[in-house]
Amino acid sequence: MKKELKRTAALVMAASMAAGLAGCGGSQPAETAAAAKAEAKGQETTAATTEPAAAEFSYPMEKGDPLQYWVETTTTVSANFANLGDTPFAKGLMENTGIDIEFLQPPQGQQKEQFSLIVADGDLPDIMEYNWVSDYPGGPEKAIRDGLIIPLNDVIEQYCPNLKKYLAENPDVDRAVKTDDGNYYCFPFVRGDAELRNTIGLMLRADWLEELGLEVPETVDEWHTVLTAFKEKKGATAPYTFEYTNNQYLGANPFVAAFDTSYSFYIGSDEKVHFGAVDEGYKNYLETMHQWYEEGLIDADIATMKNDQVAAKITNGTAGASLGQAGSRMGTWLAAAQKTNPDYDLVAAPQPSTEKGKKAEFGHVEVAYSGRSSAAITTSCKDVERAARLLDWAYSDEGHMYYNFGTEGVSYTMEGGNPVYTDQILKNPEGWPVSQAMSAYIRGNYNGPFVQDERYLEQYYTMDQQKATPKVWGAASSNGAAHVMPPITPSSDESKEFSNIINQINTYRDEMTLKFIFGDADISQFDEYVGNIEKMGLERALEIENAAYDRYKAR
Amino acid sequence: MKNLTKKLKADWVRNRSLYILVLPVLAFYILFHYKPIYGAVIAFQDYVPRLGISGSEWVGFANFRRFFSDIYFVRLMKNTLLLSIYDIVFGFPAPIILALLLNEIHNRFFKNVTQTITYLPHFISMIVVCGMLTDFSLSTGLFNDIIAFFGGKRHPLLQDPTLYRTIYILSGIWQQVGWGTIIYLSALAGVDSQLYEAAEIDGANKWKQTLNVTLPGIAPTIITMFILKIGKLMSMGYEKTILLYNPATYETADIISSYVYRVGLLDQDWSYSTAIGLFNSVINFILLILANKLSKKFSETSLW
Repeated sequence: MKKELKRTAALVMAASMAAGLAGCGGSQPAETAAAAKAEAKGQETTAATTEPAAAEFSYPMEKGDPLQYWVETTTTVSANFANLGDTPFAKGLMENTGIDIEFLQPPQGQQKEQFSLIVADGDLPDIMEYNWVSDYPGGPEKAIRDGLIIPLNDVIEQYCPNLKKYLAENPDVDRAVKTDDGNYYCFPFVRGDAELRNTIGLMLRADWLEELGLEVPETVDEWHTVLTAFKEKKGATAPYTFEYTNNQYLGANPFVAAFDTSYSFYIGSDEKVHFGAVDEGYKNYLETMHQWYEEGLIDADIATMKNDQVAAKITNGTAGASLGQAGSRMGTWLAAAQKTNPDYDLVAAPQPSTEKGKKAEFGHVEVAYSGRSSAAITTSCKDVERAARLLDWAYSDEGHMYYNFGTEGVSYTMEGGNPVYTDQILKNPEGWPVSQAMSAYIRGNYNGPFVQDERYLEQYYTMDQQKATPKVWGAASSNGAAHVMPPITPSSDESKEFSNIINQINTYRDEMTLKFIFGDADISQFDEYVGNIEKMGLERALEIENAAYDRYKAR
Repeated sequence: MKNLTKKLKADWVRNRSLYILVLPVLAFYILFHYKPIYGAVIAFQDYVPRLGISGSEWVGFANFRRFFSDIYFVRLMKNTLLLSIYDIVFGFPAPIILALLLNEIHNRFFKNVTQTITYLPHFISMIVVCGMLTDFSLSTGLFNDIIAFFGGKRHPLLQDPTLYRTIYILSGIWQQVGWGTIIYLSALAGVDSQLYEAAEIDGANKWKQTLNVTLPGIAPTIITMFILKIGKLMSMGYEKTILLYNPATYETADIISSYVYRVGLLDQDWSYSTAIGLFNSVINFILLILANKLSKKFSETSLW
């Protein structure tokens, strides 16, 4: 019996050992042949772009081979459509441009993995929407040099009058959408109007404020007063909570900004790049948060907070203030809470500062072009003109309206010179929420290669509390826009070194920040903390960032 | 050689259907587990998917050096090893003990119900289990309700690095203990009942029987399972960790695989993650051989 067992065990063992070894090399089946083939294709396409374009051009184009278009799935689309190609939006796009498109869609959240697989395989779709600045190691210039996407300078010159015009009129965007070497590489997603760049901010219970006779807080001290009142008079056990596990909110943290600094890199008033988490202001932030934590003003469970738990707390009165988007957070919470408590109300609070009447120097502002959802034409594309014409259409007047509002008479009508969504969108007959109905007809409410229009947001926000947010969170409350990092790219040689340093620093900062707040580390250790970050190579990281920023300014 | 071919042929004729049965399994392992081993060479490269293995630049041991010189290297090794060791110390005996207990139950109905209940957690998805753990560990959660009931102080458990390992290991035992008994129960069924009769005649009580008949009877199974477990010492998966940890518990929670997940996979640094994976595999391999050698020497039971 012993022997037999030995044999079966050996088999099991051999199998699991092999599995263990294989674990370390699961995803690199790139074949040289494929790479070489793609390279040859790349040369062909470059040659093709130098041919003279037709003098007169008008949409729709003549029928041709369909283009493969790779773009991440969006939940508001996938709720009702298996593929973006099934939406009225895509059908109309094909009709208007005369170009057939076959959409290839990685599932949401798996974009990066799928991207790597496609790239390794070598047979690329014609057009790929991706964040080439932050999600391609080495940035867009490296993607061009790796033979993945084509530089668009000649292409834009020849086939893209609309994008060319837009970039000429918007030099700030123009600077952001090319590489340090001056190569254009994408059809960008641009948040066209300033109102679209302030979608995250503080909010708190308006009904409680009124009941307690308090004003909307503007300074850190006033926040302290308000949160204390929420705790003592309204019985909130976690007066301020937010989704701490979501990096987006950590980056936007208004209480860090209140102390004139930032959680990560920022542009200082000296026009240099700085790292906020080692500033004196950051120390003040930590001290204040620790005090609040001790006093029970911050959710005791803050480090593990996820969206659903935050939603539960802010709607049931456990919390009275939070941080989030006007659309997906404030709107949802208001709608949910008012069902059971009609008095429930939220109000947006401005970026707090440390002094009454002083406008905050820092604050969360999104940049016009962050790099996300930018469509590039790959080296596998055989008909560059068709791809370019398809993408360029979005930047024409007609295309701009189409991407943001859809088809006139179907999804919007013109009233007094402004587009107004029809009931097809706002009171969808299928019973879809506004966001899903919008996503069937437009891309304006999520992203894509076009210029977003603020007139979409005004109608997307259906409640007055939401409509107020762009003003309250925006330029009126801070000079944040002056300090936000533009989409700079370290050179490809430096990018690995940079990410190596910054990964270590970020891990340490995240860990120590919580320790300081919870009191597991005393604030007197702050200098030691700064020293450790410096030891990890902060100076070198700043050197790389500053060089990249200088190159950015010189573009 | 000739002899072997001859033998194989004869065996093939006799056991043809068995060979055909094993073929798909063999193909599976060759295709999905042995063939990809070749890909491990990218650990020594600066791998760019577009350029492929043959086109990427060779960098020697640079990726390994980077890992060894990482300031978190020592902490990651320590956390990984400690979690693994706790898992062996507490997690490994648990199913054996449960199996022994179950073996003593003679009421069939009660035994089946108990088994089913203890198996069930195994089938709950890791995401759900971790979601439950996170909720229960909140300062207002179930665990804290229990602590408060007994007069303890409410305290966010998953933000406390000193409690992290306990939560990780205990929840692992809860989830896997029932499932783990299966193999031991089948081994227990194989113990010759005559031996028990003989022991009883010799005057051995239940405890003595367990010690002198049952345990030696299933010892080969226990040792085999133990060696296999040792061989996985370094390969703790990241799934559970990234679902349970947060920056406040990095100190004890961050293990090699979760760190690789954060810095390697999210940054698409394939070569670096492969280098660390390879390093883990090599250590596991050495541990496995060592454990097997020791076991052979001291207990006559071994895998090969």
